[in-house]
Amino acid sequence: MTGGPLIVQSDKTLLLEVDHPDAQACRMAIAPFAELERSPEHVHTYRLTPLGLWNARAAGHDAESVVDSLIKFSRYPVPHALLVDVAETMDRYGRLQLINDPSHGLVLRGLDRIVLVEVAKSKKLAGMLGARLDDETIAVHASERGRLKQALLKLGWPAEDLAGYVDGEAHEIDLAQDGWTLRSYQQEAVDGFWAGGSGVVVLPCGAGKTLVGAAAMATAKATTLILVTNTVAGRQWKRELVARTSLTEDEIGEYSGERKEIRPVTIATYQVLTSRRGGAFTHLDLFGARDWGLVIYDEVHLLPAPIFRFTADLQARRRLGLTATLVREDGREGDVFSLIGPKRYDAPWKDIEAQGWIAPAQCTEVRVTLTDAERMTYAVTEAEERYRVAATARTKLPVVRALVEKHPTEQVLVIGGYIDQLHQLGEYLDAPIVQGSTTNKERERLFDEFRSGSLKTLVISKVGNFSIDLPEAAVAIQVSGTFGSRQEEAQRLGRVLRPKADGRQAHFYTVVSRDTIDTEYAAHRQRFLAEQGYAYTIVDADDVLGPPLPQVD
Amino acid sequence: MLPRRLALRTMATAFADQLRSLTDDALGALLQLRPDLVVPVPSDVSALAVRAQSRGSVARCLDALDEFTLAVLDAARLSRAEETALTSVAAVVELAAATVAPQDVRVAIDRLRARFLLHGPEDALQIVGAVDEVTSPYPAGLGRPADYLDPQAAALCADRAKLRRAVLAAPPGARAVLDRLAAGPPVGALSSGGTVAEPVQWLIDQHILVPVSEAGRAPRADGELVELPREVGLLLRRDSGPLGPLRPLPPTPEGPVRESKSVDSAGAGQAMEAVRHVETLLEALSAEPAAVLKTGGLGVRDLKRLARSANLDEPSAALLIEVAYAAGLLGEADAAGTGRGVTASRASGLVDEIFLPTGGYDLWRALSIAQRWEALANSWLAMTRQPGLIGQRDDRDRPINPLAPDAERAGAPQARKEALAALAALGPGTAPRADEVLELLAWQAPRRARGREAAHRDALAGAAALGVTGLGALTSYGRLLRNEDVPGADADPLGAGPGGGRVPGASDTVRTLDALLPAPVDHVLVQADLSVVVPGPPEPELAAELDVVAEPESAGGASVYRVTSGSVRRALDVGYSAADLHALFQRRSRTPVPQALTYLIDDSARKHGGLRAGSAGSYLRSDDEALIAEVLADKRLGTLALRRLAPTVLCSPVQIARLLGALRDAGFAPVAEDAGGSAVLARPKVRRAVTRTPVSSRLGEQPGPPILAGPRLAGVVEQIRRGDVATRAARRAPVTVRAANGQQVPGLTSVQAHTQAMAVLQQAVRDKARVWVGYVDSHGATLSRLVRPVSLSAGYLRAEDERTETLHTFALHRITAAVVED
Repeated sequence: MTGGPLIVQSDKTLLLEVDHPDAQACRMAIAPFAELERSPEHVHTYRLTPLGLWNARAAGHDAESVVDSLIKFSRYPVPHALLVDVAETMDRYGRLQLINDPSHGLVLRGLDRIVLVEVAKSKKLAGMLGARLDDETIAVHASERGRLKQALLKLGWPAEDLAGYVDGEAHEIDLAQDGWTLRSYQQEAVDGFWAGGSGVVVLPCGAGKTLVGAAAMATAKATTLILVTNTVAGRQWKRELVARTSLTEDEIGEYSGERKEIRPVTIATYQVLTSRRGGAFTHLDLFGARDWGLVIYDEVHLLPAPIFRFTADLQARRRLGLTATLVREDGREGDVFSLIGPKRYDAPWKDIEAQGWIAPAQCTEVRVTLTDAERMTYAVTEAEERYRVAATARTKLPVVRALVEKHPTEQVLVIGGYIDQLHQLGEYLDAPIVQGSTTNKERERLFDEFRSGSLKTLVISKVGNFSIDLPEAAVAIQVSGTFGSRQEEAQRLGRVLRPKADGRQAHFYTVVSRDTIDTEYAAHRQRFLAEQGYAYTIVDADDVLGPPLPQVD
Repeated sequence: MLPRRLALRTMATAFADQLRSLTDDALGALLQLRPDLVVPVPSDVSALAVRAQSRGSVARCLDALDEFTLAVLDAARLSRAEETALTSVAAVVELAAATVAPQDVRVAIDRLRARFLLHGPEDALQIVGAVDEVTSPYPAGLGRPADYLDPQAAALCADRAKLRRAVLAAPPGARAVLDRLAAGPPVGALSSGGTVAEPVQWLIDQHILVPVSEAGRAPRADGELVELPREVGLLLRRDSGPLGPLRPLPPTPEGPVRESKSVDSAGAGQAMEAVRHVETLLEALSAEPAAVLKTGGLGVRDLKRLARSANLDEPSAALLIEVAYAAGLLGEADAAGTGRGVTASRASGLVDEIFLPTGGYDLWRALSIAQRWEALANSWLAMTRQPGLIGQRDDRDRPINPLAPDAERAGAPQARKEALAALAALGPGTAPRADEVLELLAWQAPRRARGREAAHRDALAGAAALGVTGLGALTSYGRLLRNEDVPGADADPLGAGPGGGRVPGASDTVRTLDALLPAPVDHVLVQADLSVVVPGPPEPELAAELDVVAEPESAGGASVYRVTSGSVRRALDVGYSAADLHALFQRRSRTPVPQALTYLIDDSARKHGGLRAGSAGSYLRSDDEALIAEVLADKRLGTLALRRLAPTVLCSPVQIARLLGALRDAGFAPVAEDAGGSAVLARPKVRRAVTRTPVSSRLGEQPGPPILAGPRLAGVVEQIRRGDVATRAARRAPVTVRAANGQQVPGLTSVQAHTQAMAVLQQAVRDKARVWVGYVDSHGATLSRLVRPVSLSAGYLRAEDERTETLHTFALHRITAAVVED
């Protein structure tokens, strides 16, 4: 027994005791091959997955070193079977290679002939492989590169992709680091991405993912296609790029419902790309419009299904995915990894917070007790309507007002999922509302007012979930949401995490109705953040309405 | 051959004399080397001598000898003089020491002499006759001498130069055949097609190979045999020596040597896993028992389910289930007594027996991990099962199931012992490959190892799965386990079960393993995401508490649980109060209890019991609270045990009819209502008998019998006639037979005596007369038959039935009577 900080579980999870003196060294040792799954306050959970082990192999770690670090830091004897399994899994990587053959183009080469025969026979690869060139090589259709890699991964024989990337059309892009520099973790993220060629960078909201994208562009120095969730987010990207890089307004095009510009750097929305006319995707030409050297997917956790399919065709181009929360309620995280690339960088939220790059946040769940009349209404509601009834209870309104009044000097965002409720709130709080039907122009105006401070309180619908940069928002009050969506919760918290000028604390309130399905969904929503180490405080609405809360900051 | 036989016979007494002349110590030494000689204790030295020369004892002795000693024994067999059948130490050494040191050969000869396989003075060594009977007819893989096989071959062999030229002239194909036969065994079968392959034909033509088909050998279906004469074999072996390659020393495995610390660590990790997995499997079995298949064993589907529940692959799960069964942790129980839904889960319908954890399992669970592991490991060593067979196909191509009789192998414990002994004999930390271990075992006792490769492989796989070995090398505690097992295992093979009379913590294995295993912890870390981490193996008490209040999420060295509203409700259901739960977490948690958990417990406790359910025989309700109060207060209704559920509702355990009656008797006017709440009006009924159909209508329904006509009528008539003939024939059977057959014959009750019947039959055989035979058939029916007896022997009567021209055989004890036809 070494008394190390790590406990290796037989289900391939690794428990890292954070308070142990060797914890940091251990984290560095296991990070290359284990995936951080949860990071609550005391014990972080990592997981050994085949994908993670193969990524480690790709990055030059061998099985011996993985086993060594497990044994070195493990507190208890590591089961023999697990060590064997690790070694065997890692041994499967690289038996097959995808390379560019000078005469035949893209080929699959088997360093182990039997494996090549095995996979060539698999039905899952039907149609992806071309003619057999010799005992060790099979031609591959260039367009099938992505799908082949995905299929080989599923077969458990991941191919080492040595075919490289096209450079794309060169375009001079530099970071304009005047008065600011790239933060250390941003630099690490860019380096990790560039070394791997393609992949996903996971950083908390407000930690400056746009800058990671900009830095990646500056490294690539090539024409870039940026895919974002909506037009407002696209304009924020543009603003940021103009401010932080050598790019000028004219070099950046917007490809959205309103404008269709194709420039060296083009920002397109998922919506316009996936819009169809007569059953056909009409805007797909954009992917081939230029010889893009880099494709950036913003908020990759929201990537719509059709984009997955287009992405499979883009395997020769460098791809960068950016997200804060790679949890998809549809469970398609695996597709993101195999098509855009593996996770190249991941930082626990609390670590970034400790470094001061995101504002420390206080998460509070305020529980309101429904009135008897409301409870009765709730009790007799059909199952599918129950969440709406519980979440939009009128009893929440005074609580929201009390919370707003508790922070008279702060910029407050009130976020909800139901339009009726938002209108009620708007009237009750006498605040403007931003919702789906609000025009882009109106949105910009309200956001500008909010940024400047002339508008103190803003009520926003789901459109505010993502990619709105409102640095001065310090308080967010959530009244309803999309059922138990974990990433929505995290994204909403992200709205208030931009570091504040004076380093003050951000507040995130979520108002839930006690003893209803609202509470259950809230618990589920909070799970991601709880796993990131955010501890929710639960308070009773009466405490909010009654005597003032003790000041915590 | 004849002179040798004679010599052997005369030597038998000489063998006894030699034994008799031994000192007590020497005799004792022999008995130690061949312990089977004294089971049972022979009456005198002659008896001992006979036994020592018996096939069984000699075979057993040879089984324990290593490859080299057996090779030297072969050398002794080869070096016998034709006439005297004697050999000498010098001759053996000369033959065997071509490639190895004479010293090694001498030691081997001494070994053989000490066992009295070779006996007599150095210059006139005699080989115990039974050796030839129980070993291969081709010593050292060499054929018989050429002059014994074929004169022409003998002629060729007599001229060594010519033989050498002939062999050298062999074309490559023929040379390959020669080499194969020279390596032994020296006989090969020819393909049955009739055509002989060209190289072989060439060799036969040259008289280098001799076709053999002498009497005494069973004719072979797959064709003729050819044999390589001894002289040719020796010529071909001129490089490797006449006995072929010899290995005086055991092969040394080249496996890497691991640090014994990491071996122990990996092994201990695996041991912990094995114990935990057995627990998981048995818990899963306890939650949903598996049916015992009709052919015995556990079904494939159940195995899959159990393996999935423990997150294991099926072979590992099968092994652990077998071990658990051997350790008495798992047993069969009557399906009827449990009332579980086993029958429903299986399409095959009714299930008689199910597998369930035994009471011993609960005792076992109370032991420490090391003790639990020892119980498992000892059972594994002693169990006569070969788990590696599970999942494979048996002779009838059906898969072998866990716990099924097909996986029974009596030799399995011995195979495990041998495999572990082979590992133990290597230096600490040596991790040989399985093939190397098998090779070593094959050297140590070739006769025993033959055919047991699968068992040995299985033993090594099992040792790795249980953590007896770690990283392929024997662990320190595994080594101890083996040592302890030697005296105890045979006396009490399954005593390894829970609390099998063992003093807890007494064994060295347990102590050594205990030191390697993490110390149990009594605290947890509770986190805001409601996960509870036990940073080590939990103490049994803590584990029991957590099992109730939280759901397990991940297990291994540590365990992770998650508290959910469901798990809190479960805790409340079994009697914890909110305060108890708060106190529990407060006491066990090293970290501050997060507020989310406090709220979860409080919320769940608040809702718990918000609804109350119960059963009642009937209820009484009224909108009038005063009326309800009056009924409740009425003393005459005390027997109804009415209870107030609400101001307007009472309930009673009695049935509604009694309730109504009692209320009416007390002067109330209740009305019954149905499940939907509407009033049920009851009118008194008049008693009536069950309705019957009038006779007239019954008559109408039954028309008279149909009138037959045409062919059908003719058929019926014919049938009747035939029956009549049969009856008359039966009546012709003599009275005695009919009476003996139980047919009613008025006025005659005596039954023929059996001896009398036999006498009749014997006479009939001589006279070739026809006899009525009465007998009881295999169904117990009595019949009679007119037959002509043919023979009467061995308890059977054979007789022919002239009518049907068949030969019948009657068991004599079934014959009740026999009467000659008049």
